Amino acid sequence: MNLLRNPVAQKRWQRFKQSRRGYISAWLLLVLTTLSFGAELLANHRPLLVSYQGELYFPTFGAQHSGKDFGLDIDYEPNYRELQAQFRDADEGNWVLMPPIPYGPLENDLIAGDFPPHAPSLTTRHYLGTDTSGRDVLARLIYGFRTAMLFSLVLLVFNYAIGVAIGCMMGYLGGAFDLFFQRIIEIWSNVPFLYVIMIVASIITPGFWTLLFIMAFFGWTAMTWYMRTATYKEASRDYVMAARALGASGSRIVFRHILPNSVSTLITFVPFSVASGITALTALDYLGFGLPAPTPSWGELLKQGTENMESLWLVGSVVVAMTLILMLVAYVGEAIRDAYDPRKFSFYE
Amino acid sequence: MLGYFVRRGLLIIPTFIGITLLVFSITRVVPGGPIERMMTQAQLGGEAGSLHRSEGGGTLSDEQLEELKRYYGFDKPLLSSYAIWLKQVLRFDLGLSTRYQDPVWDIIKERFPVSVFYGVTTLVLTYLVCIPLGLLKGMFHGSRFDNLSSAVVFLGYALPSYVIGIALISVFAGYYDWFPLGGFVSDNFEELSPLAKAKDVFHHAALPLIAYLAGSFAVTTLMMKNALMDNLSADYMRTAAAKGLSLGKSVRRHALRNSLIPVATSFGNNISLLIGGSFLIETIFNIDGIGLLGYEAIIERDYPIVMGILVISSLLYLIGNILSDICVAIVDPRIRFGGGSR
Repeated sequence: MNLLRNPVAQKRWQRFKQSRRGYISAWLLLVLTTLSFGAELLANHRPLLVSYQGELYFPTFGAQHSGKDFGLDIDYEPNYRELQAQFRDADEGNWVLMPPIPYGPLENDLIAGDFPPHAPSLTTRHYLGTDTSGRDVLARLIYGFRTAMLFSLVLLVFNYAIGVAIGCMMGYLGGAFDLFFQRIIEIWSNVPFLYVIMIVASIITPGFWTLLFIMAFFGWTAMTWYMRTATYKEASRDYVMAARALGASGSRIVFRHILPNSVSTLITFVPFSVASGITALTALDYLGFGLPAPTPSWGELLKQGTENMESLWLVGSVVVAMTLILMLVAYVGEAIRDAYDPRKFSFYE
Repeated sequence: MLGYFVRRGLLIIPTFIGITLLVFSITRVVPGGPIERMMTQAQLGGEAGSLHRSEGGGTLSDEQLEELKRYYGFDKPLLSSYAIWLKQVLRFDLGLSTRYQDPVWDIIKERFPVSVFYGVTTLVLTYLVCIPLGLLKGMFHGSRFDNLSSAVVFLGYALPSYVIGIALISVFAGYYDWFPLGGFVSDNFEELSPLAKAKDVFHHAALPLIAYLAGSFAVTTLMMKNALMDNLSADYMRTAAAKGLSLGKSVRRHALRNSLIPVATSFGNNISLLIGGSFLIETIFNIDGIGLLGYEAIIERDYPIVMGILVISSLLYLIGNILSDICVAIVDPRIRFGGGSR
């Protein structure tokens, strides 16, 4: 595509690759996100593979198997962790291959004689312990990361789409349209946005998409403002005048000339939008105004952690996970900004 | 110049009306307001009292409902009740809290000192730490000191302050028990000597203050550093070096004031933090300030308080924006607002 093939973009890409920290962080982030989208294969109470009497079963995907399929006398789904132990004891050539974390994010694993939260332990294979209702913390962290990442990425697409559309129109059309939206944005950006979301979320219990729409409803202004300025700047340049002199229509000027020149800079904002999306969702979940109850989320784990401070692994694992992800995002953001605006400083002494 | 600020001041009015109208209609349109809350309370009370078989059931009669609606002003259409509310606000009357039945203004006023204490301390500490640190980092860019402090700054930059607050309180108050678990002062505060009182306040304030600082610390430091670095490579600094000024002297005499401009722009925005506080940090540390009040009011659907806090915080924010511009004009006499092109 033309947008990526021009020498300026390639030079930026080279500069981005040169800042090792940002480049490695970008790869790590990509790998972690991709892994989290395959979370069912990493943390699940269903095994990846069951071999029973020479036949292979894949319980993670496809139909649910009842205990009868595996020679148990139950109609419901067997506990595969127990099945694994049974098969191992019986030693008849049957086996169960569990995921690395053999617990699902919504599964309550109650250990007899002990109240949850359970401390991290290798023998129970709760590597980061369990939360207050016996759900595996590591599994919930992974699924929660997926939710948060998905949420902030979709939110980003929404905000940027609205921002680019309205901002570009404001900058190109100008006049009354511009003035009207200027006032709207001024009001919108002065509304204490987390506060209003809390008011709305306290009344309707929002699901994933509702929460997303509410956040996008208040979050589109920053990008709009930026796009307006960028469009104004581009529209007054000579090449736009040349295009107009050649008889190009308004839509052609916007889509073929102004947008390709202004949109590319938007990428410098992407890491910050992702980070703010994750932190905002976590804050809302922490306050109890976020996604509904059983959804695995970092904010909900944080809340449990602050209510059970003697179980330090709850807060600890979330804080470490957040630090890791947000630092990676910030490194990527720094590298992208350097790639776009390489500052060469000089000193005089 | 004066005309510009007057115009900016006048523009506060439509923006203020826009913000409050937006939130006002949200509290109006959505279900689950104070009346519904009272009705459920009456029903619950009715069930509890049903042993006595008195007063004929727990639900409110239509008349009572009408009376309640009139009492809270829910009986009129949206715009006219907003007009009534606005007129009251202009007379500095924020109405009665639906939860406490006290004037909203009194309730908010009670919480002011706590939030102002945190706000002012944070503001002073931020500038006291960040400006020198940013200057040093800029002057010795690339040194070991710069790299080491960058690691800390970056951590504060990447992590939101509430996460830092949660981490601090669970390690140092929950696990190690070095600091109290929250609150503003101890229960026996009244009995303490003045010195012990001050110690008590700061003992409670240490962790929240770090969390507050973490929020603004990184941004201000980096802003200061980048601004200084920009100025260090400017021509006038070359001239200063050429005529034989040392680096320290040329920074102090020439670059410092120019580098303070971006920091000054952010000053006004801190005004709203000064009094409004952060409800996240106040909730975490259970500090009885404006932020926690707003959070509780939202949960309890105490809309007069919600609107009252919104009025104060949005006014502060709007005034803060203008203050920022005035600060910039003071620091940088070259800037002329309002004239010609932007």
